[in-house]
Amino acid sequence: MSVSHQSRETERTDFVAVLAKVCLVAFLISLGVVVLYPLFWMALNGFKTNAEIFGNPFALPGGFSVANYIAAWNQGIRNYIATSVIVTLGSAVCTVLVSAWTAYGLTRSKLPGKPFFVGIVLGGLMLSPTVAVIPLVRMMQDLGLYNTYWALIILYTAFRIPFTTFLIRAYMLGLPRDLDEAAIMDGASEGQIFWKVTLPLCKPILVSCVILHVLFAWNEYLFAMIFTSGADLQTLPVGLTSIMAKHGTNYAVVFAAMTLSALPIVMTFFAAQRFFIRGLAEGIGK
Amino acid sequence: MADLTLRNIRKSYADFEVLHGIDLDIKSGEFIVFVGPSGCGKSTLLRSIAGLETITSGDLVIDGERMNTVAPSKRGISMVFQSYALYPHMTVYENMAFGLRIAGVSKAEIDERVQKAGEILQLSKYLQRLPKALSGGQRQRVAIGRAIVRNPRVFLFDEPLSNLDAALRVATRIEIAKLKQSMPDVTMIYVTHDQVEAMTLADRIVVFKDGNIEQVGTPLELYKRPANLFVAQFIGSPAMNILEGTVVGKSQGVTHLMLECGAELNVSADRGVLPVGERLSIGIRPENTQIIPAGEHGPVLTGTVDFVEHLGEVQILYVDMVGSAQKYLIKTADDEAYARMDTIRFTARTNDIHLFDAKGRSIAGRILEDHALTHVSRSRFRGDAPGGGGTAQRSAGLRTGALDP
Repeated sequence: MSVSHQSRETERTDFVAVLAKVCLVAFLISLGVVVLYPLFWMALNGFKTNAEIFGNPFALPGGFSVANYIAAWNQGIRNYIATSVIVTLGSAVCTVLVSAWTAYGLTRSKLPGKPFFVGIVLGGLMLSPTVAVIPLVRMMQDLGLYNTYWALIILYTAFRIPFTTFLIRAYMLGLPRDLDEAAIMDGASEGQIFWKVTLPLCKPILVSCVILHVLFAWNEYLFAMIFTSGADLQTLPVGLTSIMAKHGTNYAVVFAAMTLSALPIVMTFFAAQRFFIRGLAEGIGK
Repeated sequence: MADLTLRNIRKSYADFEVLHGIDLDIKSGEFIVFVGPSGCGKSTLLRSIAGLETITSGDLVIDGERMNTVAPSKRGISMVFQSYALYPHMTVYENMAFGLRIAGVSKAEIDERVQKAGEILQLSKYLQRLPKALSGGQRQRVAIGRAIVRNPRVFLFDEPLSNLDAALRVATRIEIAKLKQSMPDVTMIYVTHDQVEAMTLADRIVVFKDGNIEQVGTPLELYKRPANLFVAQFIGSPAMNILEGTVVGKSQGVTHLMLECGAELNVSADRGVLPVGERLSIGIRPENTQIIPAGEHGPVLTGTVDFVEHLGEVQILYVDMVGSAQKYLIKTADDEAYARMDTIRFTARTNDIHLFDAKGRSIAGRILEDHALTHVSRSRFRGDAPGGGGTAQRSAGLRTGALDP
């Protein structure tokens, strides 16, 4: 009797476990649908005509014509993508190099009052870009950088250094000091240790930082809108709003433009998802 | 060729002094081993010699040149780290060549030196591999190779074998000994906490405690004539047994000691050295203790076996001494069976008994210090002093104890 009671208990436990798993999977699938369906719907509508969009927004397109995509590409997306690529890559390289040097100094130097400097650099994380906009506009105008690539590259670099330094510093703290000392015994200078030993060892976190920075810079809107004005210098987020303003009624082209602008970043994310997650986890606990 | 002299070396971190004035002379081509418990300052001294730590005060002299402020790479020193510290993103060849490239050595010469080191250390097949593709022993050899290619005057080893398993440790230890033989002019300083490494590799051992040198000497000197209680207990495994006793009287050139456990001990030492009432520590090594077979008479101590450790060739008996709460360890051949609660009687040859005064100094050492203080004080630290020592130890002997049945 006790045996059958026990087996009934086991069956009930199994059932609860399976049910919980099913619920979890269903929830995750729903979450995935909520995130992915709008993107899918946007890309799909890029293939439709305006009439089809208004007639039945959720139906499949009558044919997969890329005309809207070609139109969007030729009506500015090409330039916006080029600007975004320049600004994103330029600021990514600057941010990562400056942050890596800063992190190296903060982890390796025997600077007196080091915690204070760490506090200052990491305190930058608290600084909201919005409050600095007006002085920055004046500064950029005075320096003659307003409405140039450099305005965005410099600003993106400056505002991302605290976060990137935070990640690289945490990683560098975990690197064995013996390697630095071995390099010192080998006669390497601080610069040589940084470039030839520390930096190559930081490759995983540098890749993560570049990806996180690309995600940020590619989608940044506020600075891009304020510090650039000409169509030839606008980045994708700002350019997209221009396209929407210009082709307000031609939704098919707008959807195609939006899809084209999201595509590179989505592809980057999926290709480098591993590094992205590691980057987020790296700052924990150090 | 490099003579190395340390004069009153002190090292402090803020207000905390870790090295309290180290004096040491190391001759060119010597193999010196630093031993001591964790935190005794041996690694700090090694790193100070390397230049990885600044010296707070004192002089570090290599071949007559003061090196305190000279950059590590300009001291003619190579160091092998405990963790190997190989650059993980460089191949074995690049690891060995890194220092030479920085020094601006020509490609042809770099190649020659790396290939030669590879041959010596049997690494020729692995030169294009990354460190992660090597075994622990091979990585250790690469670390040694990286040190060799720079043709150093002084080699520093910071616990290089501690990350290896037991078998590999023995093999690599032999390789290091052979390496030393192949480079007779190179001075080597080796830090370890492993006594076997110290005893087998060293020309001289330096024993550290709390930032001071306790004794410098050849391995056998340290084993046979420890300068004080600390060295006596640190060198040798298991550690020397220490019994407490008091000088209770003298007669006809013999000094009588009463042990705390109740046994009596007679010592024919210099009476001037052992005044009545002086408390002494009597040291007997576990391996020098002889178990007296039942029925035999003689000067003995008595105890009950509490635990037996079998090591195959030998066994270690943990004995509760009669009249004392102290454990006494005996190392003996594993050919006779002992069990818990067996009562045994044991003794030691007079030659194997060490005497220490209340300050823990060896009585032999104290005789020398009391009679020739000025002569001994410095040379003792060079490890060439206690030549005439050991008279008191050799003339000591256990007499029939109060507990002798």
